[in-house]
Amino acid sequence: MGAARGKDLLGNDLTAEEVRLLAVWEQLKTLLDDDLPPSARAAVEEAVAALWQGVNDLALTDERPPV
Amino acid sequence: MTDGPYWNPKTETLSREDLQKLQGIRLSGLVERAWHTSAFHRRLMDEAGVKPADIQGFDDLRRLPFTTRDAWMDCQAEKPPYGDLLAQPRESAIRYHTTSGTSGRTPLRVLDGRADWKWIAECWCYGFHGFGIRPRDRVFFAFSYGTFIGFWGAHYGTEKMGCLVLPSGNMNTTQRVHLIDELQATVVCATPTYALRLAQEGASLGIDLAAGSVERLILSGEPAGSIPATKKMIEKQWGAKAADTAGMTEIGTIMMFECEHQPGGTHIIEDHFIEEVIDPATGEPVEYGERGERVVTSFGRGLIPLIRYRTRDLVIKAPASNCSCGRTWDLYDGGIRGRVDDMLLVRGTNVYPRAVEAIVREYPAVDEFQIHLYTADGIRDEIEVLCEVRQGYEGQWENIARRLCDDLSSNNEGLGFHVELVEAQSLPRFELKAKRVKDDRTVKGDR
Repeated sequence: MGAARGKDLLGNDLTAEEVRLLAVWEQLKTLLDDDLPPSARAAVEEAVAALWQGVNDLALTDERPPV
Repeated sequence: MTDGPYWNPKTETLSREDLQKLQGIRLSGLVERAWHTSAFHRRLMDEAGVKPADIQGFDDLRRLPFTTRDAWMDCQAEKPPYGDLLAQPRESAIRYHTTSGTSGRTPLRVLDGRADWKWIAECWCYGFHGFGIRPRDRVFFAFSYGTFIGFWGAHYGTEKMGCLVLPSGNMNTTQRVHLIDELQATVVCATPTYALRLAQEGASLGIDLAAGSVERLILSGEPAGSIPATKKMIEKQWGAKAADTAGMTEIGTIMMFECEHQPGGTHIIEDHFIEEVIDPATGEPVEYGERGERVVTSFGRGLIPLIRYRTRDLVIKAPASNCSCGRTWDLYDGGIRGRVDDMLLVRGTNVYPRAVEAIVREYPAVDEFQIHLYTADGIRDEIEVLCEVRQGYEGQWENIARRLCDDLSSNNEGLGFHVELVEAQSLPRFELKAKRVKDDRTVKGDR
């Protein structure tokens, strides 16, 4: 069960900042599918784990990061 | 916005209706993931005849079975070392921890991944920020940094907030007091017992901590952080405000914290947890204001989903409106009030160690104490409180002991207590969770 496009989990419209945060989150996750060198791979995994706190706290998504 | 009272204003002020809606969405996702990825949870749900599709929202919570420590321990014993509870491959874990082992039982083993650790720190941030701690603070951790999870998450939380973290894992008590003084720490994190121990050490070293730089103490690990007399004593000896927090290894972090308004209770972090309070005998929910057992469901931990876990902690839930801070999160009035299995049965009277401590700490003359139970004449249970007296009170001891005896008796249905003076520094001191009950009875009642 996820948020509808443009809404948070509670059905509220996203703020401009939340829209940008969610966009970064979606883009960041795609890097996990890339064949990165170990240094970049670890950095992306750390970043995904860290940014998940922001999108999760703000109820923008109910997904679990794969890290 | 960064200097406001809330770490996460959006969820800390949600209406109860929205909060339960959010909890319901997260519960549904948690159950779906746990059923598909954790053999342990799938087995429990299958036995209870529950499928993920049955859990559509908050109101479906009680359809789910309880999880117990015994079941967790059994699965670890059957499939060592971690059992079949894990919901992600072991390779995704980055750290191993265990429960403290203070209960004398086999410690539970836990694993956490990257996202788990960020979440563990996040929950601590709610508590630190809520008690007024900010990036400018210098935070001292009187903590051993071992396998017990303790303040590990608090360490990462304060780093994340931008505070200066002062670890002291390799230090003894004397060295810690010197470092707090030298580096002008503004926050100290410790168990309540160890906060008192540090203050004692400061006094013996001639370092006046009450006149020093420390403004706040974050207490955790023991119910004493919410015992008013203990907290008052800590605050007096440090010249600082003290806030209680509570967590457990099974969730990896804290699930409640005391805000700056200090209403006599701790806010439950309700966007990351569902906390139920039940009658431990029947499993039925109890109302606000009634004492019962905490049952926790945690949304944040990926490797170890926790669903309706019976904690054995005794609590009294109070509505958020009891606090003036503006948070809509309910409170545990008086924090953790003890453990279901802490109760001592002495000549037919239920005695709770936390309640004994609450009385003993009203007496500033008592420097340290121990509750000792023994069998007299081969048949009769006796309870005595062994006390070390603080310097300067020796001459008044006889009178103090008599009053303490009367107070203990009148607060425990007339049960006769003995109060005995013991030599200074003869009782054990503790860095982590204190064990102040020594039970030498040949038969230990109905514990």
